[in-house]
Parts: sequence; structure tokens; C-alpha cells
Amino acid sequence: MNQVNLYEAKNITKRYGNLVALDCVDFHIAPNEVVGLLGDNGAGKSTLIKMMSGVVDPNEGNIFVDGKETKIKNRKESEEIAGIETIYQNSALCDDMTIMRNIFMGREITNSLGFMDHKKMEEVSTEVLTSGVEIAGIDSPQKEIGALSGGQKQAVAIARAVYFKRKILLLDEPTSALSVRETEKVLSYVTDLKKENVSSVIVTHNLYHAFQVCDRFVVMSHGKVVFEKTKAETNIEEVTEQVIKV
Amino acid sequence: MKNFIDNIRSKPAGGIILLFVSIQIVAIIGGLMFADSFRYLNPANIAVLLKSMAPLGIMAIGVGILMITGEFDLSVGTLYTFCAIVTATMVKEYSLSPYLAMLVGIIVGILAGLVHGNIVNKFAIPSFIVTLGAMLLWKGSTLLYHGAKSLRYKYESESYEVLLKGDVGVIDASFFWFIAVGIIFYFLLHHHKIGNHFYAVGGNAEAATAIGINPKRVKLIAFAIAGGCAALSGVVAMSRVGSVQPGGGLGLELEAIAACVIGGCALMGGRGSIIGIMLGTALIYTIQDLLLLLRAPGFYFDMFVGSLIIIAAITNVALRKRL
Repeated sequence: MNQVNLYEAKNITKRYGNLVALDCVDFHIAPNEVVGLLGDNGAGKSTLIKMMSGVVDPNEGNIFVDGKETKIKNRKESEEIAGIETIYQNSALCDDMTIMRNIFMGREITNSLGFMDHKKMEEVSTEVLTSGVEIAGIDSPQKEIGALSGGQKQAVAIARAVYFKRKILLLDEPTSALSVRETEKVLSYVTDLKKENVSSVIVTHNLYHAFQVCDRFVVMSHGKVVFEKTKAETNIEEVTEQVIKV
Repeated sequence: MKNFIDNIRSKPAGGIILLFVSIQIVAIIGGLMFADSFRYLNPANIAVLLKSMAPLGIMAIGVGILMITGEFDLSVGTLYTFCAIVTATMVKEYSLSPYLAMLVGIIVGILAGLVHGNIVNKFAIPSFIVTLGAMLLWKGSTLLYHGAKSLRYKYESESYEVLLKGDVGVIDASFFWFIAVGIIFYFLLHHHKIGNHFYAVGGNAEAATAIGINPKRVKLIAFAIAGGCAALSGVVAMSRVGSVQPGGGLGLELEAIAACVIGGCALMGGRGSIIGIMLGTALIYTIQDLLLLLRAPGFYFDMFVGSLIIIAAITNVALRKRL
């Protein structure tokens, strides 16, 4: 496979005082793939996700976007340069705001003075909700996020990422707060996104979910990558063993 | 009926609009039925009612915007007095025009807000603590700067008389300032992108950060608005009354928070509206006025406003949870 990776991190080290959260980690995301990032609590998965989304600055290491070395200093640069969107466990949405205001949070459509174009934003929101990722049970973009179920919220967050043409979606335990049926839905969105050329990284404790959608598995332990194989090369027993061994 | 309730529930100011309209209807019916003994609709009564609202209302708008971003400012009451005295001395001792002096006062208020915000941001201390300290600091600064005696403030100028002391029928000039500030911040909060950021930061700061909004910067702007509004309300009040009491203003910060809570602002941030804050203020003064007209003893006012705060909070929660 000679294709250029969408994103690649090499020799990343991140320390918090004496604690080494990431220890010379190599990690990459190829086009059209879903990566399962696995490991027990405190393995460094969340720190790696935060580093990739630009919220955490690594102490050492290099980052390559489309094969070119790049410096990513903050969230905005991660979004604009690498096309990365992160979806958290408690999705990055505000319960007290409408779906429309959430979709455009931080990226409002405005005139030159910064006043929002409500009409245009509503049009686009309706389009986002009806095309691409299909979300059951949402009829109006003026509905408050707080009135939605956990799965619907995640769906809105994913729909937002799709609309803003992200290339990479980082999902940090996206299903841990969801019911079984909602989980199936969210996992199917991730598979659908692959068809639209969006790669994903999923952090999860549930290896069965991971096996359902991921093409490649990366297991971390104590800040290091300890195991990495594609779905074809491994099986669920082997991955489980890697995750639970200390 | 269900649609009607749904509609009210979906508006952040729904509860307060309902409450305000019902109380007005009762008061107006009472005023019409007992025109002689209950003079609610008497022009003099309406004039007094409208005249009293502006200082608290302008302050509450700033406090409310800050509350929406999830922070408090307890120092606005004493800052209100400090900025008014700064404005007055600019006119009296440095012969500045009253408008320029007003601008100086407002800038002092904005700078004070920026200082509060920077301390909250830099040292990650709750704004409640920082501004509790600032409250005493500004009170002391007022005494240091001016002393304890009251300050008379008069300025002879035609435009000034009209803009700050005039009236149109029963409507006092200060009320127009209140409405103007309300309209400006309505557009800022509900139609400008920064308003969207205020809600986002107060509602879910982590989400806002994840999407690329800088919560510290947004909070800093809100602190500056709270400081600026406190200063403006101080100047408007001083101009109308013609004097400032260095000890005055203390306690107004809690009344402003009360107006915001009654108007539907959430204490933890993320919810609230300008119309709610304005009606919250209006409701406090309407109740005060009604009690005066009914010749109730003064302490009834505190009891009523106290109950109103709790009832308003319960109504807002209930309206959101229902159905």
C-alpha cells in the first residue's frame, strides 16, 4: 500500500510532570479506514485523541498531514489543516441551544459585521438533517438539543462533521452513554461515512463494537502502542488478550 | 392548549412573559374597576414606575449576559457608584463635557470588568469569589477617591437636560436609555455570533472548546459588558437624581441577579434572554408599585420579591421538564 496517510504522528511524547502520558507513540490514519484505538483506562488513548484534535500540545514528536510535516498548535488548526473533528462521549453540543445553533456553533454564517444570517443557517441545517447521515425522529432544526436522545445527539454531532467536510472523525467513546439500538445506529453512521471518504478513529472499551466497524486495531498500554494489526490479521481473542495483559 | 404550552416552553422567556402579562392584566382590571382607590393607571403612577426601572434594568442586562456565559459579578453595585463618581468629578474638577465624562465613566467600568475577567481566567478562581473581593475593593476605592459625603451633580446644558433628564409624556429619559441598551444587546446576544458563543460557553464550555471557541476570551468580553453596563446605569441614575451617595449601590448587584433569575436566566449559565431580563426588572418594580398602591408596609416588598425569585425558578424548571 503506497497511499499517503491522511494524518501521521511520529515519536509523540507527552509528559504531565513526572507522568509520561504518551511515550514515543507512532500513529497514523489512512484514507478510507476506521481505526479502533483500544486499551485499558489510563493507557493514553484520550491524551492521543486530544493531541490529534489540537487541544493538547505534545512535548516531542512530529506530525504529518497528507505526508507533509505540519505544526498544529490549537483546535482551529487541527480542524482547518488536518480536517479533524472530535466527537466526545458527552457529545460536543449544548443542551440549551437549538440544533441549528449547535450545528453552526463557532462557525456561524454571518455578514461582515458578524451578525448571523438565521434564514440561511436554518436552510442549511434542514439540509444537514435530511441528507447525508439520516437521523430518525428529528423534524425541525429549531428543536433544543436537550430534548433529543443520546443517539440523536451523537447523530447531530456526526452530521455536523460531515457537513463541514471533515476528513477525519475522532470518536472518543461515542457509544458509552447509548442504548443498544442507538449504538447500532451510531456504528452504522461510521461505516456510511467511509463511503463518503471520511476516515474515523474510534476509542472504545467494547471490543465487539470495535470488531463490527474497524479495519485496523491499535492497542495502547502505559502510554505506548503495544499492538497493531488489521482486521484480517487478527481475531477478537487476540485483541482482548492484548488489552487485558498489563 | 398543548401547543400553547409547548410554544411558551420552547421560549427561554416564556415563563416570565406569562407571569408578567397575567400580573399586568390583574393590575389593569383592578385599576379600571377601582380607579379612585387603586391608581395603577394614573399617569403619575405610570411615570414613577417607568422612571425607577432604568438603573437596575441596565445593570441587569450586563449581569444577565455574564450569567449566560456562566459567571457572576457581585461588584457591579459598588462599581456603579464608583463610575458615577468618576464621571461627576470629570465634569466638576476637569470641566469635561458630560458626554465625554460619561464615556470616561463607562471606560472605567469596562476596564474594571476586564480586570475581574482576567483574574478569573488567569488564576481559575470562581468569579463569585473574585467579584466578592472586588465589591469591597470598589466600595473602598469610592471612599478613598471621593470621601463619604454625598456628591451633587448638576450640569446646565439644553441637550443634556433633554437626553438625560427629559421626558416624553409619562416616559422618562432614563427609560429610553434602558430600552436602547436592551435593543443593542438583544441584537448582540440573539443575532450576533458572539451571542451564540456566550450561550455555548455557558451551556457547555468543553463543547465550545472542542469546536474552537476560546471560552476565556468570550468570558472576558462578558465581564467587560457587565462592567460597562454597571457604569452606564450609575451615570444614568446619577443624572436623573442629581446626586450620588458614596455608600449607595451596594445591594443592587443582588437585585440585578434577582431580575435575571426571575427573567429566566439559569444560574449555571447557558440560558436566558434580553427580553426576559427586561421583564424581570419590570416585574420587580411593578410588584413594588402595586404594594405601594395597596398601602402595604415596606417589608412586604422584600417578602414578595423573595418569593417571586423562588417561584420564578420553580416555574422555569417546571416548564422545561413538563410534557
